[in-house]
Amino acid sequence: MGPKTIEKKRKVQDPEPESEDEIAPDFDGALSQSEDEFDSDFDDDKEHEQDGEEESGSEASDDEDDEGSLLSDDIPSDAEGDKAMGKLVLEDEEEELKIEIPGVDPKRPEKDDGEKNYRVEKDANGNERYVYDEIDPVYDSDDSDAQEAPNTIGDIPMSFYDSYPHIGYDINGKKIMRPATKDALDALLDSIEVPKGWTGLTDIHTGNPLNLNDEELELVRRVQMGMIPNDLEDPYPETVEYFTGIEEKMPLSAAPEPKRRFLPSKNEAKKIMKLVRAIREGRILPYKPPEEREKEEEEVEQYFDIWQDEVPTEVNPLHIPAPKLPPPGFDMSYNPPAEYLPTKEEREEWEKLDPEEREKEYLPQKYDSLRKVPGYGEVVKERFERCMDLYLAPRVRKNRLNIDPNSLLPKLPSPSELKPFPTVAQTVFRGHDGRVRSVAIDPTGVAVASGGDDGTVRVWELLTGRQVWSVKLSSEEAVNTVRWRPSKDSFILSAAVGEEVYLMVPTHASVTPALEQASRDVLSAGFGYATGGQTHGAAPGKEPPAKWARPGAKLEDEGVLIRITVRSTVKVINWHRKGDHFATVSPSGQRSSVAIHTLSKHLTQIPFRKLSGLAQTASFHPLRPLFFVATQRTIRCYDLQKLELVKVVQPGAKWISSFDIHPGGDNLIVGSYDKRLLWHDLDLSIRPYKTMRFHSEAVRQVKYHKGGLPLFADASDDGTLQIFHGKVPNDQLENPTLSRQGA
Amino acid sequence: MPKIKKKGQAGAAKNYITRTQAVKKLQLSLPDFRKLCIWKGIYPREPRNKKKVTKSVTASTTFYYTKDIQYLLHEPLLQKFRDQKVLEKKISRALGRGDVSDAARFERHAARPEATGKPRYTLNHIIRERYPTFNDALRDLDDCLSMLFLFANLPSTSAVPAKMIARCERLCLEFQHYLIVSHSLRKSFLSIKGIYYQANIQGEDILWLVPYKFNQRIVGDVDFRIMGTFVEFYMTLLGFVNYRLYSSIGLKYPPKFDQLKDENGAELGAFSLEGVNMATQGETTQAITNGEEQKVDPKVQAEVDKIIKQLKEDESKTDETAEEDAEADDEEKPTDSIDKFEPVAPGGDVLPQPAYSGTDPSQLFANFTFYLSRETPRQPLEFILRAFGCKRIGWDSVLGEGAFTNDESDSSITHHIIDRPVVQAATSEEGDGEDNQTAQKVGPNQRYPGRIYVQPQWVWDCVNDEELKSPELYAPGAALPPHLSPFVKAAPGQYDPTLPLEAQQTEAEAIEADLEDAKDGAAEEGSDVENDMDVDEAEDDEEEEDAEEDVEEDEEGDVEEDEEESKTLQRQLELEAELQGKKVQNKKVDPKTKSKLEQRKALEKKAKEEAEDLERAKGMLSKKKRKLFEQMQYTNNKKSAQDEKLRAKRRKLEKEKAQKA
Repeated sequence: MGPKTIEKKRKVQDPEPESEDEIAPDFDGALSQSEDEFDSDFDDDKEHEQDGEEESGSEASDDEDDEGSLLSDDIPSDAEGDKAMGKLVLEDEEEELKIEIPGVDPKRPEKDDGEKNYRVEKDANGNERYVYDEIDPVYDSDDSDAQEAPNTIGDIPMSFYDSYPHIGYDINGKKIMRPATKDALDALLDSIEVPKGWTGLTDIHTGNPLNLNDEELELVRRVQMGMIPNDLEDPYPETVEYFTGIEEKMPLSAAPEPKRRFLPSKNEAKKIMKLVRAIREGRILPYKPPEEREKEEEEVEQYFDIWQDEVPTEVNPLHIPAPKLPPPGFDMSYNPPAEYLPTKEEREEWEKLDPEEREKEYLPQKYDSLRKVPGYGEVVKERFERCMDLYLAPRVRKNRLNIDPNSLLPKLPSPSELKPFPTVAQTVFRGHDGRVRSVAIDPTGVAVASGGDDGTVRVWELLTGRQVWSVKLSSEEAVNTVRWRPSKDSFILSAAVGEEVYLMVPTHASVTPALEQASRDVLSAGFGYATGGQTHGAAPGKEPPAKWARPGAKLEDEGVLIRITVRSTVKVINWHRKGDHFATVSPSGQRSSVAIHTLSKHLTQIPFRKLSGLAQTASFHPLRPLFFVATQRTIRCYDLQKLELVKVVQPGAKWISSFDIHPGGDNLIVGSYDKRLLWHDLDLSIRPYKTMRFHSEAVRQVKYHKGGLPLFADASDDGTLQIFHGKVPNDQLENPTLSRQGA
Repeated sequence: MPKIKKKGQAGAAKNYITRTQAVKKLQLSLPDFRKLCIWKGIYPREPRNKKKVTKSVTASTTFYYTKDIQYLLHEPLLQKFRDQKVLEKKISRALGRGDVSDAARFERHAARPEATGKPRYTLNHIIRERYPTFNDALRDLDDCLSMLFLFANLPSTSAVPAKMIARCERLCLEFQHYLIVSHSLRKSFLSIKGIYYQANIQGEDILWLVPYKFNQRIVGDVDFRIMGTFVEFYMTLLGFVNYRLYSSIGLKYPPKFDQLKDENGAELGAFSLEGVNMATQGETTQAITNGEEQKVDPKVQAEVDKIIKQLKEDESKTDETAEEDAEADDEEKPTDSIDKFEPVAPGGDVLPQPAYSGTDPSQLFANFTFYLSRETPRQPLEFILRAFGCKRIGWDSVLGEGAFTNDESDSSITHHIIDRPVVQAATSEEGDGEDNQTAQKVGPNQRYPGRIYVQPQWVWDCVNDEELKSPELYAPGAALPPHLSPFVKAAPGQYDPTLPLEAQQTEAEAIEADLEDAKDGAAEEGSDVENDMDVDEAEDDEEEEDAEEDVEEDEEGDVEEDEEESKTLQRQLELEAELQGKKVQNKKVDPKTKSKLEQRKALEKKAKEEAEDLERAKGMLSKKKRKLFEQMQYTNNKKSAQDEKLRAKRRKLEKEKAQKA
C-alpha cells in the first residue's frame, strides 16, 4: 500500500489538478485494479490522482516512479537525500533526477539574476510591504507548481465583469467576489481603534494583551530598517595602537645594555663546534641521494691481511672441529660403472623406505651424456641440513679403532700342535646301577676306581674296562667320592658314603702280595696309636670328631679295612701328596665341616673352630705345606706349619663348586655353579686372571692334568666336558697362555 | 666432619648449561643467540651423563659448555644485537604513532643485512678469533665454498637478496681466479649432485661441491635465515682468504671488475688481475681471457655482440632444430677463416694425438685451443681448462662474453668439446649433396678437419688421471667409459671397478663362478646333442634337466654335504628315473668340473676350520674386547657383503656382454 498512501499525501499537499492534456490514454486498463481499491469517498479526486500516476508512469520506469514519489515527501530522510545527492553526482546527465532533488531548483539562480523574488506593496498603514513570491517547493515532476490562476475566466478583459459583484469563477465554479475597495476598507479600519503598540498577541505571563512600549517599538523599527538595534554601541570604534613604530624619546628603563647582548653566545659556539668537529671527523656527511650512498656502502667492504701476525695457538683439547663431509664415491658419478646401478628390487626397496631411514639419500643413476644430467633437487636441503648439523648437532669425540679386528684376537696355537689330548672315548666302563658319583685313577695308572648311587665301589682295569674288584659299602646311601692314596708304595682307596669314610685295599692284578701287605700295614699302623692318642688328645666328656674303627668282618674280607665315622655327610676327600693326611669336607657339617685325618695316627682333627661360609671343598698344596679351603665365595689358603691364614682368593663367582691347584703350585682353576671357569695366578692377584664361560650349565668339577701335560678340563651339568690347553711357562714373568681345545 | 656436598653444585651440573639458560644469561632473543653461536662456532655438547647435568626429563635438551657461554658474554657483537633491538623498538614505536618518515629514517640507519645485504657490524674479529692461523681457515673452507657456490647459483628472493648473491658470485669467481693462476686445482668429479672440485692450497686439501646451473628447487622446510647467517660469515671469511691468497702470489686484491663484461655474462672474464707493484701495474695486468679480446673496445664489442645476438635470435626463431640453428649461427657469423675451400669430410681423419710432453699436470692443456659447443656447460669447463693451463678457449657467443673466439671455424682450434647426439645418415647425405657452395657451412654430423672432437667427460677424466686420455673413447655419440670418482682411495680388499674382476674376487667366488660357467656350458651342450637325436624326447629332456638342476641346487644349498651323501642322492635319483620308466641319465661330470667341486669342498672345509678357530680365539677375549671385535666384524662383514654384491653384479653383466658378443 506504500505507493498509494504516498499518493494520498501528495494529494493533500497540492490539491490543484494537473493540466488535462498530459494524460496518456493508454493507461486506462492498467490502472483499473488500483481504481477498484479506492474508496468511494475519493470519487471526486480520483481523476486527478490517476492523472498523476499516469503521468509518472509515462515518464519513467516503475522504480524511478517509486523513488520519485518517495522523494516528493514532505520530509525526505537524510539518507534518502544523500542517496539522491549521490545519484546526482553519479548521473548528472539525467535531467529527471536533477529535477527530483527536493528544495533545489536548478532554474532558480537564473530567476534571481533576472528579477527579484518579491514585490513591494503597501500595507494598510501605507507602509511598504514586501510580498514574496510563493516558494516553489519543486516537487515531483508530476506536481505542476506553476502558479495556478485563481480565476478561471480565461483571456477575457476584466472590464466585462465591471457590472458584476464578482470578477470571475474559481476552479469549482464558485464566484470570486470582487474585493473590497480601498475606501471601504479604510472606513472599516478607521472605525476600529487600535491602541498604540498593539500586537494582537497575548502575554503568556499576565494574560493581558501584549503591547509594545516605545523603546521596543523603536528596536523593532531599527531591526526592520536594517539598522543597528542599539544606539549606544559604536560598531566601528577607532583603533587604538598599542605598539607603534614610533620611537619614544624616553626609554622605559634607564639600565644600560648588558654585555652579553654584544658577546657571541658560548652555548651556541659549543653547539657549532660540535657540529664542526663531527663534520671534520666525517660523522656528519653532506646530503647525498640514497642510491649514491648505497653504492658507497658497498665499496666500504675492506679486506686486509688478517693473518699478518698469525701466531699458532695451541688447540683447545675440548674443541672438536666439525667433521668434513665424506667425499663422493663411485656410485655418485653421473656415469657410474654399471654394477653400481641399483636393480629393480633395490630401487623399489629404496623407494619404499622413509627418506629418513634410507642409507643413502640418492640412488645411483646413469646418464649417457653430460647434457642429460638434470639438476639435483636436494642440493639446498642438504646444504641446509649440513648447516643445521654444524650449529645444532652436539659434537662428541668418538674414538674409532682403525685396526684389523683380528689383531685383537690372542695368538693361539692350533689344536693339532697341542697334541696329545684325548679326542675319542677309548673305553666304556659298564657295571654301575644308577649314577656314578666319583671316579679316580690310581697313582700307578693301571686301575680306575668308581663309586656311585648303588652304594658300591668298583675298581676297573683302566685299559680294558674290565671290572676287577667291587664292594658294596651301603645299601641306602650313595658313594659320594672315591680317592686313591697318592703314593706308589701302597694301593689304598678311600671312599665316602654318607657320614662314613672307608679305607680299603682292593685286589688287582698289579697288586703284588708284598704291596698288599704294605698297604695293610699302613692302614693298621695307627690302631695302637689311636687309642693312646684319643686318651690324651680329646677331653673324655667331649665327643671325638671322628671314630676310627674296623668296618666289620664281612667288609674286612673284601679288603675294606677302616671305617671313619664323622659328624656329617662327607662330600669331598683330598689326600696330601705324601699320603699320610687326607682332608674331608662335609658342607652340611657346620663347624666340623672340614676335617684333617692323619692315617698313621688314626687321628682326626678339626682345624677350624669357625668358618665364614659353607665349606665346599678343601685341598693340600702340591708342594708346600699349605691348605686351601673353598667356601661359597672365597678360597682361603692356610699355612699348616705356622697355622695362619696366608691368602684369600676371590674368584668373584657366586658359588664355587670345585677348584684344583696346578702341579706347579702357583696357579689355580676354579669352577663355579654360575657356569664359569676361572683361572687364578696366585702370585699375580687374588682376582681371576681369566674368566671363561663356555658352558650353558653349572661347572661341577675342574681338574689339571696330573701327568705333566699343559691341559686342564672341566665338567659341566650341560653334559659336556671341555679340555683346555693352559701352559704355565717356566719363566715367571710370562703369563700363562690359555686355549680351549673343544668339548 | 667434611662439608656436606650438595647435589648440582659442582661437576657436570655446573659444566653444562641448557640452551634456554644460556639465552637467558646472555639476555638475547633466540635468533640472535643462534646467530652468535653460528658465527662464534659454538656448538652443543653431549654430556656423558645427562641425568647428572639436568633435573629435567626432556630428552631433547641441548647443552652447551658453560665456559663457552661465558666466553660469549664478552663478545662485542652482543652490544650490536642490543642496539639493533633498541632500534627496532624505535621503528615500531614510530610506526605505531603513524610517523612514517621517522620510521623510514630509523630504517635507513638500521643495520639489517636482510634488507641491505650489508650489516653495519663486521665479523673481522671473529674470523681472526676462530682461525688464529691461515691454515686453520683453509681447513674450514670446505663448507664455506660449498655454501657460497650454492648461493651464487640461487635465484634471488626476499630471503636471499640479490646483493648477497652477487657478492657470493664475485667472491667465488675471485677464488677461482686464484686457483687458475696458482694451478692448485687437483681433481674434479661430475656427480649427480653437482660438480666436486678438489684443490690443494698450502698443503691443505679442499673439497667443495658446485651444483649444476639449474634453478634450484627449494623444499619447504629450509630456513634461509640460518643459511643467511652462515653465508654472511663465510663471505667475510672467503674475502679475507682471497686477499691472503692473492697477496701470496703477488696480485692485488680485489681484482679489477668490469661491470659491463659481467653483465654480458663474461663471468671469469670480467676480472682482470693486477700485480701489487704499482709501477709495473700496466704490464702485469693479466689477460684473463685472451689477448685479442683485450684490444677491442668493450663498449663497441658489446654493441656488436648485441646486434649479433639479435640477428641470431631472429634466425633461431625460424630454425626448428638445434642442428639447424647451429648451422645458421655459422652462416651468420662473419667468418674470417681462410680454409673455406677445404673439402668437408664427414668424420674427417683424426690428427695424431699431440703428445703431452711436460710432466707438470697443471700444464695439461697448455698447448691446446678449445672450442666449447653451445650445449656444453661453459662455466665449469672454462674454469677447469684454465686451471690446467689452457690459455685459449672459444665458445659459441650464446654462452656469454669473454671467449677467445666465437668463430667455430677458427683454424687454431685443436679440440672441440661437443655434447650432441650423432644425427642419422639422412641429413649427412644432404650435406654431402650440396658441396662446395656451402663449404663453410658445416652439417650436423660434419666436422672441421684438423681438430679433435670430444665429449665433456674427456676433460674431467684427463684431469683426474693427469694424462691425456685417448679421445676415441670420448668421441661424440660414443658410449662413454664410466666416470669414476677420483676421491676414492683404493683400500685393500675393497671393490675397485678399475681392476679386472679376476684380480679381486675371492677364491670361493671364483670357483663358484667357474662352476656356474661350466654348468651353463654343459646344459647348452647337452641340449644341443639331444636336439640332434630326437624331437620326441624334448619333454623328457626338460625334466631331466630339471632334475639335474635340483641336484645342483641341493649341492649349493648344503655346503656341508659329503661326497657320500651326494652319491646316495645320485643313486636315489637313478632309482626314481627307473620307476618313471625313463632312461637313466648318467651324469657325466667332466674332470674340470670335478676338480672344481673338490676345490670348493676343500675351501668350505677350510672356512669351517677357520670359523672354529675364530670361535675359540674369541672365547679367550674379555667381554669388552669381544664386543668391540664383534662390532668391527659386523661393519667389515657389511662392507664385504656390499663388495660381493657389486662383484656379483659385474660378473653377471660381463657374462651378458660375452653372450651378446
